Amino acid sequence: MPEIFPATFSFYTPRSLRRKTLWLINLRWIATIGMTILLILASKLIDGLPITNLIITVGILGSINLLYYLLTRFYAPNLLKSELMFVRIQIYFDLVLLSLLIHFTGGIQNPFYLFYIFHVIIACTIFEQKIDPYSITIFSVIVFSGMVYAESQLWLHHYDLFGSSISQLSVLISLGVFYITMFASAYLGVTLMKRHLKVKDIIHQKNLKLREAAEVKTKFFRFVSHELKSPIVAIQSAINVVLDLMGEELTPKTKDLLTRAKKRSVQMLNILKDLLDIMYDRQLVTGSPENVIPCDYLHEFIENERPHAEEKGINIVEEICAERGGLLVDKFLLDKIFSNLLSNAVRYTPKNGTITISTSVDSEFWSFTIKDTGIGISIVDQKHIFDEFYRTKNAKEHEAVGTGLGLSIVKNLVDKLNGEIVLRSELKKGASFTVKIPITNKM
Amino acid sequence: MTKKIMIIDDDIDLVEVMRITLESAGFEVIDAQDSLKGLSILKTEQPDLLILDVMMNTQDEGFQLAYQLRASEATKDIPILMITAVGSQTGYAFDSSKDESFLPVDEFIEKPVNPDALIDAVKRNLTIA
Repeated sequence: MPEIFPATFSFYTPRSLRRKTLWLINLRWIATIGMTILLILASKLIDGLPITNLIITVGILGSINLLYYLLTRFYAPNLLKSELMFVRIQIYFDLVLLSLLIHFTGGIQNPFYLFYIFHVIIACTIFEQKIDPYSITIFSVIVFSGMVYAESQLWLHHYDLFGSSISQLSVLISLGVFYITMFASAYLGVTLMKRHLKVKDIIHQKNLKLREAAEVKTKFFRFVSHELKSPIVAIQSAINVVLDLMGEELTPKTKDLLTRAKKRSVQMLNILKDLLDIMYDRQLVTGSPENVIPCDYLHEFIENERPHAEEKGINIVEEICAERGGLLVDKFLLDKIFSNLLSNAVRYTPKNGTITISTSVDSEFWSFTIKDTGIGISIVDQKHIFDEFYRTKNAKEHEAVGTGLGLSIVKNLVDKLNGEIVLRSELKKGASFTVKIPITNKM
Repeated sequence: MTKKIMIIDDDIDLVEVMRITLESAGFEVIDAQDSLKGLSILKTEQPDLLILDVMMNTQDEGFQLAYQLRASEATKDIPILMITAVGSQTGYAFDSSKDESFLPVDEFIEKPVNPDALIDAVKRNLTIA
């Protein structure tokens, strides 16, 4: 997985240089094919072309490119130095071949000498230091000028393809324009690259800052979660002591209320643990599978939640099957799934609403459905409702406080049980969540 | 003879919960809110068992204190129960039987405190000692 905020940044690596080499090899194939086509056309149009020399030169270009290709296949990019040297050799040899081709096709008379500029631009994009682009420019200028001079002194044969004699002045002007164009290209290329690098560096600096901020955030969440946890741990411990040690002194009503309070504190502690789990980027903790009688299990759970619902004037209707068969399931996960969904239903159902809980069994799944007459979830929100920290607008209007974690945790847990969760809802008309747990878990 | 249990924990409510629990089981309880106070009390009092919180002023104050006590001749034989919410918080549950050389305590108890489990653990470690 690519890092979001990379800690280090370098202009090139052996691997990135190898990618550039492969790019150059592709360009060279295109050049080889292009020149072959031009050669066929030119041999028809122009007389006196040294066809054999040209075929040999293009042949060398093709073969050397094949050699480069094979080298890339057999040698993995290891050392930065050797990869850099490899790219340099390729560019200088390309310049030699280009010079040969231009020499055989009229020298200064052939406007193709502008192709030298491509090499300068390529060098600017490949090398970090400006020394390479400028060396390549100087090399091109010297080779080309030398060739033109040697041809003018008749030390080298001049292939006069266009039939017209050339004046010394026009040669000088052409050379002058060529020099200016070459050096201007090198200068512009190097300058643009410098700016590009500056931008890259700014992005890199920002990345480092973001990385730091992300770390601070994690630390902060850890701190907050711990601070939230301590009081609830104390509350729960105190209730435990009262219930366990002073149980006989309590009236049944007091005991019942304390039991409810304890359950709620357990629930809160679990939510905090979930939050911490997500903060620590780890998988959610699981328990071990145990045998659960689904109908009894749900009934007990619902009875615990009922007073809380009734306080809000919400009626809970049970349409629970009478199945007595057990289900082998991680009860810890099932607890979280069911309590999250049920407490959501209670939270997001207005006064006098109804929550209906039904179950069904078929050959594949044991499933339960929690249906409410609450605020509902719009079609648009349904797509995101299982995302971490996602809260719908109407949910926020209805209940200001919420982490937006509940349903993402539920989805995670259902996946863990190899189950399915299905949501059916319409805005303002309520929602129904069906959780299907594969019957393979059945005992 | 009544056994004396010392609790070192900065959460006074938790200390109170544990005190009530242990006193109901017939133990005598003394307490301190941090390791410094704990150490000074330990100079005069000889508890039969120590209950120690991990995170007090620092993340591992409890561990540091446990190391100190194990290193001192006067206190090295006092059984130590460590109460922690670290296990469930980091996901790395401690196990003193596995980490004995690393963690110088006899047993870990998870927060929130369950009275029966606490009394059982105290009794178990008193008999071993």
